[in-house]
Amino acid sequence: MLCIEKLDARYGLFQALFEVSLEVARGETVALIGSNGAGKSTLLRTIAGALKVERASIKLDGKAIGGAPEHSQIAHGIALVPEGRRLFANLTVEENLLVAAGAAKKIGRTGEWTTERLFKELPGLDPLRARPATALSGGQQQLVAIARSLVMNPQILMCDEVSLGLSPLAVDGVHQLLRKVRNTGTAVILVEQNVSRALAESDHYYCFQKGRVVLKGASVNADYARVAHAYFGS
Amino acid sequence: MNASMWLETLIAGALLGMLYALFGLGLSLSLGVMRMINIAHGDLIVLAAYLGSVCASGFGLDPLTSLIVVVPAMFMIGWLLQALLLNRVVGRDAMSSLLLTFGLSIVLQNLLQETFSADTRSLDAGTLSTQSMTIGNLSMGLLPVLIAAVSLVIYTLTFVLIRKTQWGRQARAVASDAETSRLVGIDDRALFALMTGFIFAVIAVAGIFYGIRTPFSPSAGPERLLFAFEAVVLGGLGSIWGTFLGGLIIGIVQVFGAQLHTGLGPFFGHLVFLVVLIARPQGLFSKG
Amino acid sequence: MTSLNVSAGNPPVLHRGRRFMLHVGVSICVVALTLLPWYAGFATQRLMVEALTLFTIALAWNLLAGYGGMVAIGHHVFVGIGAYALFAASNELGLNPWLALPLAGAVSAMFALLFAWPMFRLSGAYFAVGTWVLAELMRIVALNTQWLGAGAGMPLTAMGGFGRFERNAWVYWSALVVAVLAIATAHNMLKGRLGLALMSLRDAPQAATASGVPVARAKLALWVLTATITGLAAGVAYMNTLQVSPDASFSLNWTAAAIFIVVLGGIGTLEGPFLGVLVYFALREAFSDHGAWYFIGLGSLAIAVMVLAPAGLWGWISRNGRIDLLSVRRHMPAATHLSNHHEEELP
Repeated sequence: MLCIEKLDARYGLFQALFEVSLEVARGETVALIGSNGAGKSTLLRTIAGALKVERASIKLDGKAIGGAPEHSQIAHGIALVPEGRRLFANLTVEENLLVAAGAAKKIGRTGEWTTERLFKELPGLDPLRARPATALSGGQQQLVAIARSLVMNPQILMCDEVSLGLSPLAVDGVHQLLRKVRNTGTAVILVEQNVSRALAESDHYYCFQKGRVVLKGASVNADYARVAHAYFGS
Repeated sequence: MNASMWLETLIAGALLGMLYALFGLGLSLSLGVMRMINIAHGDLIVLAAYLGSVCASGFGLDPLTSLIVVVPAMFMIGWLLQALLLNRVVGRDAMSSLLLTFGLSIVLQNLLQETFSADTRSLDAGTLSTQSMTIGNLSMGLLPVLIAAVSLVIYTLTFVLIRKTQWGRQARAVASDAETSRLVGIDDRALFALMTGFIFAVIAVAGIFYGIRTPFSPSAGPERLLFAFEAVVLGGLGSIWGTFLGGLIIGIVQVFGAQLHTGLGPFFGHLVFLVVLIARPQGLFSKG
Repeated sequence: MTSLNVSAGNPPVLHRGRRFMLHVGVSICVVALTLLPWYAGFATQRLMVEALTLFTIALAWNLLAGYGGMVAIGHHVFVGIGAYALFAASNELGLNPWLALPLAGAVSAMFALLFAWPMFRLSGAYFAVGTWVLAELMRIVALNTQWLGAGAGMPLTAMGGFGRFERNAWVYWSALVVAVLAIATAHNMLKGRLGLALMSLRDAPQAATASGVPVARAKLALWVLTATITGLAAGVAYMNTLQVSPDASFSLNWTAAAIFIVVLGGIGTLEGPFLGVLVYFALREAFSDHGAWYFIGLGSLAIAVMVLAPAGLWGWISRNGRIDLLSVRRHMPAATHLSNHHEEELP
């Protein structure tokens, strides 16, 4: 469904990605692993449209969408849960969801994920609706951030380091939600520091180093030794 | 001064302050959502007054009727300015839009001078300007009361727009984190253009009433900007009602100051601004 | 679309031969300029004083804005303070104006120090307009102070005791000395600790603070330095006109001219104001009788430069010629610094 071929991406004069090729099939979960600065976040942000790239290097169902403006990506069904959660501090929890839902409704991206459905799936958040979004715990904020992307009913949900800085209990809560997402047939791209978690929760993995894909394969067949080698480099 | 004169001065100051509140609203929105001050803000208020003058001499419209023409015209000008010029510099650095609008201010003042000469003029609203009304044993001008009512209505409208509508939510999202707002489908550039258009529409109303109330000239802009700015800072950032109250305070200070020494009203406003800056830099009514 | 401004490595330093030529060239210019009173008429001298003082004021504004990241629309407050300090000291204390000049600089410095307290509560656009409020405040104070001459202002009485040639020459030389001092100070400062502190502040404010760079002190030092330079230049400028008044000395036009010169020449560069001043005066001589249209043109030019060529004339030249004459080139601070939210993160 999502086909990335020989993608190069630059920040000004600094090249962050070199000839990255990657595929995400409908409904599958792909994990991106690698050390800090390897390019995983950059790839997600590039898919989301933050960096200008060759149009044809990113194809969705055969259509070239590389470098399309960020705000139009939800029309393609691509949603990014950014690193660091980045909730809107000026808005309440509910408003954070509403602002995304409203935008999605305007372009016709409605589906099973509605604001109400999400508050039902995440009962812990319901009593916190009217709170300013940043007045929540880290784990709760992460759930809101994911919910904010879900409410746009994406076909590809991209999660950038959603377990970072969370307690083990909160991480479990996050992955529980992600499992529900996968069960609805949504494709997920997961950037995850915790390698074993990443491999356990994905169908395919890609290992990055210095902006290149150095290892890839089916998660179930992953050879930990090779992965560790690819992760840390020689 | 006896008690009722004192009260009348206070009311006169507050009514003037309502106009200043209207001056400050656009600035407050601009700073809140786009983190930008339009240095030409005051000159745009004066431009609106001149447009009202053109409506009077060209089409024989009285100032209040000319709002029908001037408000949409200013909306368009604002939308175009943001879309064509300001959006090109908005992401770049904090300085560019400041310097660009500074250039705009100079261009505007001199264009107005070329077109209309440096003489002062005012908008003729007939008896509205001179009539007064009495509440109890207090007398006040009808025009200032009308301005106050209009200011209150526009503030309320803006508050509802920002707090309760999807567009307002989007504006607040962009104000919070413009980059992330794009991830939820918000076209921040398009939003900025609409926001500037709205701000210019508010400026249009403020300018017309200003033109009725005070004789104006092409160089009157900068002082309007400073009053608007003082209202915003005094009131505290992040709160349009803070700006409203800030405007009231500046108005009251100016009117009482003028009582102390004619012509020194604005000076006392500047002084109070500095004092509040030292004593409570986050503004008097900020959320903290 | 995000992009990070990464400079294309260090620009090539002028090599030995070129450097020697540069020094020779500059020396010849300095000698020629010093000898000016003996070969140029009074009108030319007065024009040169105007140009030199305006250049100095623009240089000061550029230091504050282009290197310190603090745009001050009310910069002209220092012009008024410096001019009035000189006139008041000379008139009231009976001082020779040239002795009063350093005093004018000192008063400007103290004024800046005192008002840093309220002004530094503001930042970014707020600071920019806040300084304007300050300037307006001082203008009104001067306007209403009788012993300063109120609205009409006052003349520089001590000047009456000098012959015409003497007066013009010494005012001219003062302008030259102040300009050269300003350039030297700016150049040395930027290469020294303050300069390093400011640049680290601009490039990576959080890292700078974390490394112990004294942020507040650096900004204060720059603010006071800028005020002093401007005050001195203003003193000389008004020695040239022989009359100071509130509306003239506290006029926004000073800041407007400085902004135009710096923006057109290239903000954040030492070379920029040179070019800017040349273009500014060339335009003025060419279009002076067109009144308002001249200002409309200037303003439009400033807007165009901001949108199309923000690095100004020098930026355009040095990008094409790839030279960095005085090697203190800097970039403008990115929006992320002043929006105090999430910084641009490199992966």
